[in-house]
Amino acid sequence: MEAVIVEDLSYRYWPEGPLVLKNMNFRMARGEMLVITGLSGCGKSTLCYCLSGIAGHRRDGVMQGQILLDGKDIQKLRAASLALEVGIVFQDPDSQLFSPSVEDEIAFGPENLCLPPGDIRARVDEVLDLLGISSLIEANPYHLSGGEKHLVALAAVLALDPPLLILDEVMSQLDQQAVQRVADVLKRLKDAGKTIIAVEHRLETVTFADHLMVLERGALARWGPIEPMTADREFLAAQHLID
Amino acid sequence: MHFLTLTQVNFHYPKLSRMALENINLEIEQKSITAIIGPNGSGKTTLGKVMIGILQATGGKVLLQGEPVSEMSLAQIGRRIGYVFQNPDLQLFCATVAEEIGFGLVNQGWEPARVKEKVDFCLEFFQLAEYRHVFPLLLSQGEKQRVAIASVLVAENEFVILDEPTIGLDAYRKKILAGYLRKIASIGRGMVLISHDMGFVEHLADRVIQLEKGRIVGDSERKGRNGYDT
Repeated sequence: MEAVIVEDLSYRYWPEGPLVLKNMNFRMARGEMLVITGLSGCGKSTLCYCLSGIAGHRRDGVMQGQILLDGKDIQKLRAASLALEVGIVFQDPDSQLFSPSVEDEIAFGPENLCLPPGDIRARVDEVLDLLGISSLIEANPYHLSGGEKHLVALAAVLALDPPLLILDEVMSQLDQQAVQRVADVLKRLKDAGKTIIAVEHRLETVTFADHLMVLERGALARWGPIEPMTADREFLAAQHLID
Repeated sequence: MHFLTLTQVNFHYPKLSRMALENINLEIEQKSITAIIGPNGSGKTTLGKVMIGILQATGGKVLLQGEPVSEMSLAQIGRRIGYVFQNPDLQLFCATVAEEIGFGLVNQGWEPARVKEKVDFCLEFFQLAEYRHVFPLLLSQGEKQRVAIASVLVAENEFVILDEPTIGLDAYRKKILAGYLRKIASIGRGMVLISHDMGFVEHLADRVIQLEKGRIVGDSERKGRNGYDT
């Protein structure tokens, strides 16, 4: 069964609002990684909100079409069930962090999955170590730098261990060393069977992905295997995606 | 006289075991582009906020053209130094994009016709014209970032500090921003660029200051087109 099926997806933020996503169709197998890119305002984050189930549950939002995650219709899933299917790291980590310490922040998800305390401890320690942020365990997330906040938000989502990960420019605020570490983690997760959807401007950091999607004004401008598409400098330059 | 002088500046966040800034000694000239780079958590943003008094140094002195920043109001500093925050959500509050960009000018008492002219220019230049009447917080992150940058640069402060201005910007908009910053620098407006985006910094900065764990570990002047010399 395919991990993600998107059929005729369109979205507007309010009933009379402009179409922010227009008639999108794509499919992903389990363990695949998709990179979404495009100019700012083209609908990348909105697509992430749709795929994570957030957009479909907005009071004023109007979603048409269908999104199936592992065969389940995302609009029919309650928030608690959605959290077991998909984890999202927002572009702005400040909109995601709320706990008084990094440890509490990461433990919050597993606690709410009612895992045994020993398992929660193990998951927290594992993701802190994985992302190289063990030294931040007692820090208040609000006192961290932008890049560190993003790593904490990613850790909190990884601790939930969802089969589908959606990452909205999670590497944009990271230094080179952290970018490499996160890229290695994503590669390992992908090899372990996680399905990953990542919004990214710097395509050279995610060459290990399977597919690249270029969005243009809410529509799919191109979709294909990432390697030949990133090699097509003429196309990327025409889309203003590289200098 | 230097535009900004920092002498033995320290900063410590409550409940954090280590110093965020330690023994920072720095002189920054007005008519130059100074980049502050360093890994995540090295103190770049803290240093920017200490420079303009949003955070008060816990030790040492910060002088703005010889005057202690600690004795100036934020309004006094803000009239001279524009500041673009790392997170545009912390900066945007007006009902429309046009209002947001014009807010500073209106509050500095500019003539309405001149405000309109400047706002129109910025909307066009930063490719925001179609969002003129849109509530800024409904925009995408990259668009919000452009609004935040435009609303600071429009005020024509003699100096600006931009904290990670390229976050959320695509390659095309980065190029446009670089062109604008180069242009305002050429007419004598200085700036500090806080960034981890070396590709962006290398094209613009006259000087690169490198931070690590709250300390200055490198200070290089541009030498020719291709690099920096410590």
